[in-house]
Amino acid sequence: MKNRRFMVPFTASMLALLVSASSTSAVAADLTIGSLPELTGPLADSGPAFDKATKLAVTLANKAAQTAGLGMAIKITVADPQGDPQSALSAARTVVDKGASCILGPATTGESIAILNGLTMQKKMTLWPTASSERLRTVKDDGTIFRVVPADALQTNALMAAMIDGMGSPSGKTLAIAYRNEPYGEGLAKSVTKAWEAAGGKVQAPIGFDPQQASFDSEAGRLVAGAPDVYLIVDYPETYAKLGAALVRTGKFDARKLFLPDAMSMATVPANIPAASLEGARGVVAGSPKDSEAFKAFTKLWKDEGGVENAAFSTNAFDSAIMCFLASVAAGSTEPGAIRDKVRSIVTEGAPKFTFVNLAEAAKAAKAGQKIDYIGASGQMRFGANGDLITGLFDVFKFTAGKRTIVTQVSAK
Amino acid sequence: MNPTALSRPLMVLAGLCAAAAVLAGAFGLAAAGQATVNGLVAGSYLGLGAIGLTLVFGVLRLVNFAHGDLLTAGAYFVIGLSALGLPLSLAVPAAIGGTALLAYATEVLVWRKMRSARAGTLQLFLTAIGLALVIRFSIQFVAGGQARTLGVDILSSVEFGTVRLGLMQATVLGVGIATMAAVGMMLRHTTLGKQMRAYADNRSLAEVSGIETRRIVVATWLLSGFLAGLAGLLYAGAIGTFNPNFGLTLLLSLFAAAILGGIGNAYGALVGGLIIGLSQEWATLFFNPRWKPAVGFAILILTLLLLPQGIFGKARRKS
Repeated sequence: MKNRRFMVPFTASMLALLVSASSTSAVAADLTIGSLPELTGPLADSGPAFDKATKLAVTLANKAAQTAGLGMAIKITVADPQGDPQSALSAARTVVDKGASCILGPATTGESIAILNGLTMQKKMTLWPTASSERLRTVKDDGTIFRVVPADALQTNALMAAMIDGMGSPSGKTLAIAYRNEPYGEGLAKSVTKAWEAAGGKVQAPIGFDPQQASFDSEAGRLVAGAPDVYLIVDYPETYAKLGAALVRTGKFDARKLFLPDAMSMATVPANIPAASLEGARGVVAGSPKDSEAFKAFTKLWKDEGGVENAAFSTNAFDSAIMCFLASVAAGSTEPGAIRDKVRSIVTEGAPKFTFVNLAEAAKAAKAGQKIDYIGASGQMRFGANGDLITGLFDVFKFTAGKRTIVTQVSAK
Repeated sequence: MNPTALSRPLMVLAGLCAAAAVLAGAFGLAAAGQATVNGLVAGSYLGLGAIGLTLVFGVLRLVNFAHGDLLTAGAYFVIGLSALGLPLSLAVPAAIGGTALLAYATEVLVWRKMRSARAGTLQLFLTAIGLALVIRFSIQFVAGGQARTLGVDILSSVEFGTVRLGLMQATVLGVGIATMAAVGMMLRHTTLGKQMRAYADNRSLAEVSGIETRRIVVATWLLSGFLAGLAGLLYAGAIGTFNPNFGLTLLLSLFAAAILGGIGNAYGALVGGLIIGLSQEWATLFFNPRWKPAVGFAILILTLLLLPQGIFGKARRKS
């Protein structure tokens, strides 16, 4: 009996608290963006640039929200997926626990699928990976995955164009391929094999390897045997440190004949990779239209900010953060499913064009319910039905004296 | 040691030579020789790493899951000491000594207490895994998770006829084989070595015959840590680049080597390491290298089907 006297005011105050809590969240809809840069693990070379790019975007989004009078703040919460599916899922849970409404990254297909199945599909939450493997599209995603880098079907064409440009027609030439034995490596190795053979070239039996294994000397020996005309090695920097050293030790390896995919695009060759194993090597990575206003502004922004060098996927990561912000504004909500349903309305063909330079105006238009066309620092965003970009612009890069330089660009369809 | 046990190493050696000869006939001297040399390099650090694992099991009946991380510690001690300004020639022996002390510290701080508390197999098992994580993450905390190098020349190579070998790998092979021989001699001819083997073979009998347990246990940990530190350094030298997880990824191969040779038997671990290293590299002559680890372990399973106690293991008598 005594208890009941306390229960009434207690229940009433709890109810009051609940009501006030729900009403505040309806008024100030602050957006939290989850970001998963690869800060450690096999792709650790790419993480810092990704992190810087997404944070730059959030700073700009805050300024734009203020200018446009949206009354919302944009926050970013970061966790490290470590290049591993299990760790990636727990990193994704961390950012969602901190209130994330969308997730930028991760960088590999295995991690993306783990996050999709374990968390984001159920929440209808958008995931913006920089993973390129075709395997990503073999799973049901309920329209939640917007891939901000061109998929490997496009990368295959870009690699072929770069190899033909550098080494001449494949006809009668032998290509030696080595790849990480996982979806990214196997997928690209298969598609390039097919394309090279279709162009009249020969492919020396592709060599798959377990990235966890210790020594790569036998693999290196097999790869250089028969003096192939061109090499393609689908690998990540951490493993290539071992394979590259083994290749140089064979005494027969010429890095100038080597072509690399996007995962090997590093601003500077890190100290643990022997410089000789990459000197003169070329590769492709998702690029940005160099003459566009957005890209020029982005480059200036990047330089002014200081810190890490621009490597791979920085514009793509930057654009994914801006798109999550704009979709949230268009939806008038931070609810993950509402954001997902508005992504296509902010990159609509034929709608008024905006870039991050006039982001406040873009946000105003989106807020007013208009369709807009956000042109990214990485170029025009045209998502196909499955959420993949339908065209891709690639940088062809080359390592000279331990530094990466952009030689030319190719557009792949 | 009875005559059958003595003839086993010779039989294994003869078997390996015969296999190498057959491969040379089938794939040519250059290809087979290269795979054999690569296999010997891997075998040298696997074998040395596995001795400590098998000795600790033999003497203490402890499956030391933290052993792989002792290898990692060895390599990172060198990096740490070099960063403090020590030249490599001093940092290397100091790091190996440091790893031996670390192994001994785990005995004093953890294992001795666990034994006196009469901890069961499951408790020891979980403690070992916990200890492994503590060592690994301490290294990661101090040194960071990024890939590291020892800063030695890993690109120069030497040519022996048709076989090419990295200069660093040749050093690893030389040091590995010399240490294996030295450890083998030590176990065979010194009093301490005999006592250790006696203790591993039959604890009660050894104690009855007056062998001092405490001394053997301390010697086992120091030797185990010493060899783990050396194996870690040899790995770091042969491969060139590593991160704090390399000991963990090697642990399965170390266990394989110890079990293949006959768990608890130090000679067995040496031979087991060589066989695992050789079979994985020889497998690349037949199959796409992507199957290399699978082939290595398939050979392990086949051997155990034929010799369930491992190559040097003895069937245990039920008392």
